[in-house]
Amino acid sequence: MARWAMVFDLRRCIGCNACAVACKQENSLPHDVFFTRTLSEEAGEYPDVKRRYIPTLCNQCDDAPCERVCPTGATYTRPDGIVMVDEAKCIGCGSCIVACPYGARTRIDKGHLRDGLFQNGELTPFERQGIGRFVSGTVVKCTFCHERVDAGLQPACVITCPTDARLFGDLDDPDSKARRLIEQHGARPPLPEKNTRPKVYYID
Amino acid sequence: MPNMNHPSIVGDDFRRGFRRQTEWSWSIATAFFFGEVGAGLFLVSLWFDFLPGMAWGLLLTAAGKTTGHMLHLGQPLRAWRAIFRLKTSWVSRGLLAIILFTGFGTAYVLCRAHLTLGLFPESLAPLYAGIAVAAAIFVMLYQGLAMSHSSAIPLWNTGLMPMIGLTYALLSGLSLVLASDPVFSVRTQDAATLIKAVELGLLAYAFISVLCLLHAARYGSKAGEQSADLLIKGDLASWFTPAVFGVGFMVPALLIAFGSGGPSLQFTAAAVLIGYYAFRVLILKAGVYDPIQSFVSETKRF
Repeated sequence: MARWAMVFDLRRCIGCNACAVACKQENSLPHDVFFTRTLSEEAGEYPDVKRRYIPTLCNQCDDAPCERVCPTGATYTRPDGIVMVDEAKCIGCGSCIVACPYGARTRIDKGHLRDGLFQNGELTPFERQGIGRFVSGTVVKCTFCHERVDAGLQPACVITCPTDARLFGDLDDPDSKARRLIEQHGARPPLPEKNTRPKVYYID
Repeated sequence: MPNMNHPSIVGDDFRRGFRRQTEWSWSIATAFFFGEVGAGLFLVSLWFDFLPGMAWGLLLTAAGKTTGHMLHLGQPLRAWRAIFRLKTSWVSRGLLAIILFTGFGTAYVLCRAHLTLGLFPESLAPLYAGIAVAAAIFVMLYQGLAMSHSSAIPLWNTGLMPMIGLTYALLSGLSLVLASDPVFSVRTQDAATLIKAVELGLLAYAFISVLCLLHAARYGSKAGEQSADLLIKGDLASWFTPAVFGVGFMVPALLIAFGSGGPSLQFTAAAVLIGYYAFRVLILKAGVYDPIQSFVSETKRF
């Protein structure tokens, strides 16, 4: 069984956010809901100033605090390590949102499904086709596009990235490109001190 | 939107920085408040054998806490599912404790009032009381444990959280019993002095615990520092200092030390409850997450 992971090569990311747009298209996400974001950061003082981009998404943690705190078992981890949410079991208590150090979870509120992009109650055709995927009052998150992965495809954000800054692969396969990059470059997980054992790594 | 008073708190935009917790707000604070006050009132009333206090404690927990949680839940009709993960989730354990507390507490009160209508044996009243007491103590502790369980929010991630909940619950319970039971006004001077000393002791312990919470957050991590700054000198300071420290600690301390008679006890209880509710709401609002780690080495000209 594979153990899916993602590697971000920050040297390549140009902050175009094409990944965020592809994710919204693939998952028909309502307005203000993002499964992935590319954060920008400035550091230093003039004239030695740098701007870098840090893509973020659910880290599919091996010791996921969101799964631990979930009182209903709605959050669970698949055998391949992808952390899922069963919207039929979720009660919308928000414990998982509070417990996630990475801000990777969002609760779908009525407004998300009712107001639409223009906040006037009129849904765009894109929103109308996607609204049925969501249950108001439940929590959603990135699942590495699990339907695509199950079909042998890569996540939408990965195939869209124009600079190959995102790599997806099997951590347990020593020949996978993701695994080799992690080993060659000493890739680091985000906030390792939180002890969540993420399956997302960064190369800088 | 970025917070102009706290530029490093970036909100929900696409910048790296500290983010404030917004998921748990006043409805959860209300649920926590009623749960702890109700359990504390029940325990203290049981200690003083004050039956109306026990009944009110059960009612506050059953009605107030449930209402707060129902207002918060995205799918309230599925709330029963929250009992399923006792092994790992404090929310599940808390729900079980609430059920045991309200169920066995009600059974005990009905036994004492001889209103069981033969539905269950009155001879088992001590057993009902024992289970209700254990569950009440758990209710007073579990909310702090649920908050401190995750390392995501450093302000909450401390063993002080359950202890503060326990102290505030007992303090609120004692204040309410003193304010509502006319028997206390005719107690002996020695007993009244002892009860005053206990109330002052709980007040002092809660005050020191809140100070320790802020100190631990301020010097424990960068996100904790942001949280403490929000409460002490930031957006929330205009509420935190007067409501939690002023009304919640100073006013009751002065009333206990220098006041006498019924109105003084009732003002004390009101001040304690206002301070405690403010604490619950503001501690939730002050929760701040660490930023995703920086991958940029700081550059500086020399």
